[in-house]
Amino acid sequence: MSEHIVSSYEEQLKKLHSTVLKMGALCESQFANSIIALVKKDEELVDKIIGKDDRIDELEKKIDEQVVNLITLRQPMAIDLRETVSAMRIASELERIGDLAKNIAKRVKNIKIELNNEDFSLIRSASELVQNNLKKTLDSYSKNDEKLALSVWNSDKEVDVVINKLLQDLLNHMKKDKKNIESLTHLLFIAKNIERIGDHSTNICEYVHYFIKGEDIKGDRPKA
Amino acid sequence: MNDVIDICKVEGSIKIDGQEINKKDVDVNLLREKVGMVFQKPNPFPKSIYDNIAYGPRIHGLADNKDDLDKIVESSLKKAALWEEVKDRLNQPGTGLSGGQQQRLCIARTISINPEVILMDEPCSALDPIATAKIEELIDELKKTYTIVIVTHSMSQAARVSQNTGFFHLGKILEFNLTEKIFKNPDNKLTQDYITGRFG
Repeated sequence: MSEHIVSSYEEQLKKLHSTVLKMGALCESQFANSIIALVKKDEELVDKIIGKDDRIDELEKKIDEQVVNLITLRQPMAIDLRETVSAMRIASELERIGDLAKNIAKRVKNIKIELNNEDFSLIRSASELVQNNLKKTLDSYSKNDEKLALSVWNSDKEVDVVINKLLQDLLNHMKKDKKNIESLTHLLFIAKNIERIGDHSTNICEYVHYFIKGEDIKGDRPKA
Repeated sequence: MNDVIDICKVEGSIKIDGQEINKKDVDVNLLREKVGMVFQKPNPFPKSIYDNIAYGPRIHGLADNKDDLDKIVESSLKKAALWEEVKDRLNQPGTGLSGGQQQRLCIARTISINPEVILMDEPCSALDPIATAKIEELIDELKKTYTIVIVTHSMSQAARVSQNTGFFHLGKILEFNLTEKIFKNPDNKLTQDYITGRFG
């Protein structure tokens, strides 16, 4: 698309876009780190993750401010308006992802069982799948690629399949290994958090699609 | 313009109630009775406020007596939301009013002959935001009775006051659509480039 005649307006929109990407990248690394901290029981990393959550909240506020400024001072129209409004909604989805990652990290110290083995491979593969979807989601935003957004949106059912298996798996562990029921309960919550992060990614995909195409994705999201 | 300029050329088609208005056999006087006009710069006649309104009904023979004419003047000024401001100074010159009041006077003058269509050519471009808001409020009110066609360079104004928007560029109509559609998600790429300020 060609650039705006008023270059300061063009810059303002680009800045909003890059703030959202910055927030997205931070959430991506918070989530990836929370899984590393979980598998390695790395409490130092946990503290780091908890400490960085404020930065995510700051970025969300910054995005809100940039959006309000754009609407007040530039009165964006059509695709610019859609992008501006979507940025605000994407930021709030990202903020939730950040919270969920922090919540995973906070549970690490309560988990007394070894996860870095075949028994718990599903928790690693589920989080890899969701991390990959989150990455593609942010790519679709960064490259204005609504087709990529749509493909991530459609692929969330695979996440549901893995998460359902994982939940069943954890319940089986609970039945067998009653002394670790506390750790396994925390893992259940973590599994649910991973699933929710996947859901927030697909919500972001919907906003990306809306801002590029001007219409919502048609139909219900495929669910397993 | 057809009569004054030899080389004047008109293409395309404008119809009112299915009738082409740009034909030789169309009576322009009757057409003017149907289509009222309001221009960019308020242009009240150099007459009293009263006579500005009474002029049209007089020449079109719409009033039988002074009472009728008084009623038309009052109701036109009321419809144009100007009555309260001028009712005690109807004999003073229309040109003595403020810009926004003059524009509303011109609108009152237009509606005094009860047209079907009101054509407004940039009616607020010479007005401050408050006077503009008053005209826009008036447009909202008048559109219940009249068809209003407004030409504006202000996209936010088009978005605020209209239900349908046509985008003209270099003499061609590039897109005509519901106003909401035009400003949220236009069909034509040129429309989008124009309204988003990308037109190169």
